Amino acid sequence: MVLVVNELTDDSEHESPDHPERPGRVEAAMAAVQELHLGSDLIVAPAYSATRSELTRVHDAGYLDELGAFCYGGGGDIDQDTYATFDSWSIATRAAGAGLSVVRELQRRGEGVGFVASRPPGHHALRDRAMGFCLLNNVAVSAAALVSQGERVAIIDWDVHHGNGTQQIFWDEPHVLYVSMHQWPLFPGSGAAGEVGGRLALGSVVNVPLPAGATGDVMRRALDDVVAPVVDAFDPTWVLVSAGFDAHHLDPMADLCLSDGDFAQMSLAVSHYATAPGRLAFFLEGGYDLGALQASVRATLSSALGAPHDGEPPTNGGPGGAQLATITAQRDAALASWTQIFDEEDSR
Amino acid sequence: MNDINSIAVGFDGSDESELALRWAAHLAREVDANLTVLHAAGILERLGAPFSHEVTPQVVAAIMAEEGLDATRYHWVVEEGDACSALLHCAQAPHHAQLLVVGSRGHGKRPGMMIGSVSLELVQHASVPVVVVPGC
Ligand SMILES: [Zn+2]
Repeated sequence: MVLVVNELTDDSEHESPDHPERPGRVEAAMAAVQELHLGSDLIVAPAYSATRSELTRVHDAGYLDELGAFCYGGGGDIDQDTYATFDSWSIATRAAGAGLSVVRELQRRGEGVGFVASRPPGHHALRDRAMGFCLLNNVAVSAAALVSQGERVAIIDWDVHHGNGTQQIFWDEPHVLYVSMHQWPLFPGSGAAGEVGGRLALGSVVNVPLPAGATGDVMRRALDDVVAPVVDAFDPTWVLVSAGFDAHHLDPMADLCLSDGDFAQMSLAVSHYATAPGRLAFFLEGGYDLGALQASVRATLSSALGAPHDGEPPTNGGPGGAQLATITAQRDAALASWTQIFDEEDSR
Repeated sequence: MNDINSIAVGFDGSDESELALRWAAHLAREVDANLTVLHAAGILERLGAPFSHEVTPQVVAAIMAEEGLDATRYHWVVEEGDACSALLHCAQAPHHAQLLVVGSRGHGKRPGMMIGSVSLELVQHASVPVVVVPGC
């Protein structure tokens, strides 16, 4: 199976002293790709900058204007976590465009798995605000492009933080299923199990909040028992993964205890969500320990490509399993209201 | 106009936010209101210095004592997220703040730009009056 990755472009000027969201992250992710030794099965999709009309599907025009002006005015700190530099606008539009380019290449080929290794990450970026290291919501830009082509997109977000930006952008969008598994409570504070989507798309958001210390067994159970039935019902034509790797036990940003072997298994689980070849792509979100990031990206991609994993074993025994039953009940309630909406639409 | 009996102030440990905190504490004492001292904890908070100032209940208590606000009249809240959203939440249950107070610069450095300015964002989105305390 081929792996489609984005052409790397210079992101070295989007950096801030000692900031963990740094250029070395993409280098670590791409080192993992090289370790797979794919030869001619590695396809590079050309670099591309997302256009204004591609960005305004998910961001307010006023915000884009302000962000551009802020960057070209020299940049600075946007909030306590998030920075921009003079070059950040062009780097961020290329990061968003990288996803569009990889998706386009997958569409052209009709086979393979996509991996978008770009930064800054995207899933905290709101419709009208930068946040949590994120300027533009990369995965949302690609999902919205697919929706505009009539596709139904499932976004599976396994970054350790809740993807509040993606959730907000698609809150009332019935053609996008947004699923997030994350440590909770933790930044950004949202992502409780009761957040299940807006009135126009009830049940199209599924949140699986997990306690500190949770291990891979709970993640896998969540994917199999809580998420898989919702994905089945939603019947996506595309699966995009907000693949953050900061839930790894070595990552300094949070307290989940996943190994790279867990990412291999999670990758296998989400690969089964894709119903046709060439319709699965992983988008790099967080992941700040470079060694853990490299090992986890390698595990994720080799597993998605059908190769065996040879790193750390999967983990077991952490807390959080008991909460899954409550989350399942909330999911069932959401599904009931969702089915009702579709039935009403069908009968019209 | 109703009396103000609940005020919220953002505090991130910076000099600007300390001025806002002192101003809010003074006002709370004058009008006999309760004060919510809110700290929005960002992603980098857990990495400590140089990414975040030392913001502890002890730091806040010392400032409150200097401003003469009794410990029963203020409470300290840490909310995960960005400062603007967290302060906006303070205008809702359970705090029901009728006035939001922030320092003028926050983390932004560009006058007149919405981006990077908690105070401008807050003024645009808040449903209650906002006081922006000028920096030094
Ligand atoms: Zn994250």
